[in-house]
Amino acid sequence: MKKFILKSIIYGFLILLLVEVFVRAFHLYTEDPPRYIDAYGVEKRVPHHEGYAVTGNRNQNFSKFHINASGFNSHREFNPSEHTFEVALIGDSFIEGFHQDFYNSIGKKIEAQLPQVHVYQYGYAGYDLANQMHLVHAYEEQFMAIDEIIYYLNYESDLDRGVYEPNYDRINMLRSTPFKIRDQIKILAYGSKIGVLEPLKRLVSGQAFENKNEGYETNKVTPYSIKEQRLKDLQRLENFKSLMRLYGFDKTKTTFLLDSRTTSDSFLAYCQQENIAYIDFAPAFKASKTSTNLIYDWHWNNHGRELIAKVISNYINSKHKQLK
Amino acid sequence: MASYVFYGWWDWRFLFLIIFSTLLDFYAGQQIYKQIHRPKKARYWLWLSMAGNIGVLGFFKYYNFFVDSFVDLFANFGYEMNSTWTLRIILPVGISFYTFQTMSYSFDIYYKKLKPTKNFIAFAAFVAFFPQLVAGPIERASNLLKQINSKRTFKYQQASSGLKLILWGFFKKLVIADALAPIVDDIFANYADYPASTLILGVTLFSFQVYGDFSGYTDIAIGTAKLFGVELMSNFKFPNFSRNVAEYWQRWHISLSTWFRHYLYIPMGGSRVSKLKSVRNIIVIFLISGLWHGANWTFVFWGAIHALLYIPVFLMGRNRLYANNVIAQNSWLPSIKEIGQVLLTFSLVTFSRVFFRSPSISDAFAYLKQIYRNFNYAPYVHPMGYRMLDFYVLLAIFVCYEYLIRKDERSPFKFKSPVVRLLIYALIILSMMLFYDDGVNRSFIYFQF
Repeated sequence: MKKFILKSIIYGFLILLLVEVFVRAFHLYTEDPPRYIDAYGVEKRVPHHEGYAVTGNRNQNFSKFHINASGFNSHREFNPSEHTFEVALIGDSFIEGFHQDFYNSIGKKIEAQLPQVHVYQYGYAGYDLANQMHLVHAYEEQFMAIDEIIYYLNYESDLDRGVYEPNYDRINMLRSTPFKIRDQIKILAYGSKIGVLEPLKRLVSGQAFENKNEGYETNKVTPYSIKEQRLKDLQRLENFKSLMRLYGFDKTKTTFLLDSRTTSDSFLAYCQQENIAYIDFAPAFKASKTSTNLIYDWHWNNHGRELIAKVISNYINSKHKQLK
Repeated sequence: MASYVFYGWWDWRFLFLIIFSTLLDFYAGQQIYKQIHRPKKARYWLWLSMAGNIGVLGFFKYYNFFVDSFVDLFANFGYEMNSTWTLRIILPVGISFYTFQTMSYSFDIYYKKLKPTKNFIAFAAFVAFFPQLVAGPIERASNLLKQINSKRTFKYQQASSGLKLILWGFFKKLVIADALAPIVDDIFANYADYPASTLILGVTLFSFQVYGDFSGYTDIAIGTAKLFGVELMSNFKFPNFSRNVAEYWQRWHISLSTWFRHYLYIPMGGSRVSKLKSVRNIIVIFLISGLWHGANWTFVFWGAIHALLYIPVFLMGRNRLYANNVIAQNSWLPSIKEIGQVLLTFSLVTFSRVFFRSPSISDAFAYLKQIYRNFNYAPYVHPMGYRMLDFYVLLAIFVCYEYLIRKDERSPFKFKSPVVRLLIYALIILSMMLFYDDGVNRSFIYFQF
């Protein structure tokens, strides 16, 4: 029995070691550059990190990222000046673009269409409008020199709060020892990413025994009633007004990038009434005959990014005729 | 006790059923043995045991099926009836397996192959032995009860081979069966939209899925039992390499086919009666075997197809031809003839699986009709967009590996070099991660039987 237990442990250890080698050799794990909150309370990545973001169990999407000196994934350093025309594109993971090579981003595609323009992508996974508007407010000086500001607004998830508060708890959690260990042991990073550790976690925490009927999660979406939806829309609008009061909103150079299919009519009407410009990419996506999203996750694929770059370029072209 | 807790964990109410079966057969076994010299009385107790077990099985598994079938039958003759007699019955997990196992005990005593045990605890452990309780192998008392009654000691070799079988079983279940499940589900759910090439792919992959699922479970069960010092019977011996349908049934779900052979086919006369009666016996066995799988005409039809495939082999006297050897018994590679035989057998068995997998007979025929009607090729796109090549490569490696180990189903890692073994273990763990999909419903297919 002793020999059996001892050999099982040794074999188990050697097997895991070998799997770790395979996971590293084939780069099955994804890299997540470290995050921090700077002196201005802005949450972003630690500068000067390079690596590869991986989606799917079998490297189905493999892309290079490059965190610049400002802490964002971009092919550019952010040094706005009077002599160049800069566009700041601010948003969540869709703008951060870990699902694409950093040199093939939306910003790069816009620059290909408008060679006089420099695009600064302030993208960070999890950013909502509060994060975005606070960022512009916090780096006011830098943004004074930027000629156009475009917020990517995911209406359904970006207007849930009317004030920004830095999430130190999350950053501290990601810096904690268990997370550091997870990031160093690639088999854990990989297993955690693909969800293979979930059943183990459920087993250890006892959750596995709680719901015996449903062995798996279902994505049941309960639609809001009309009244609930109206209240929700009102709350979102109030949040937006609150954010404008707190962080300001320069209507002359600020624009929303949004999808009118998922944005409420009341919000769009408010924007029109208040002369807040927006770029609606819904018509371009609707007209597209090929898919605009990746297969393995929900982000825009290369074609989707081309379309986004095109609608933004057209908008900048029409607004700033001198750039033609 | 652990086994009963294990069973009760799913639903404690159904513990009463298994306890009923246990008590009934423990007592019936003793009575049969007592009356062994008075055949009439012994037969009475045997019938009581069978009636009790088949009664429970019949009620929980087949009651609604028979009621609905009668209603449909009368409807065909113009008598419309409302099916108000059907009940909302939950099928207890593993009921077909443990009722057959306990019945084998009474049969063996009746046929004087076994003496009843006086140890009730041992008998209860035999009925509910948790590794094989819910999906087999369907053990015989002469094998399992004997081991439970004897003193077991820890053996390094046995435990080590148990762990290896568990690993191999998990590979077959998590990598082969679960990776193919979403593809098969998609094709069978949307068969009307797909061309013949996709439908043929769907049923072929289902063949591998059901094999990986069921034989994977069996390997885990046998491996777990080994850790307790118990040797369960083999249930699968690489059925995909069978050279005719008779060989297939000597390699697929062996514990069930031998059960039917010992307790139904041979008592009916087996092959020692006239050819006509033997053919009748074969048909009966396959139809009941089909019905055993589920209360649906699809399974009866599936059994009927296998009877039709088996009978010619039987009439040609080739049904025991490959009983004691495997493909390429004395060579590295199979002959061209063997490859042809294997492909033909696999195709026929796979064809029958359309009925096994379809929710109804009309769906099964519609599936086959669609193959005929839309006899075209179009590349299949995975429902989640995954690259299909990955799955084809996986299956090719699996088939080649099974071919390598084809001579011993209980030693999947029989390589002398520990480095090679270690490498294979690591690759198996890695493949479990590569093909892991947390959206897949992981319940075993045979749990429903």
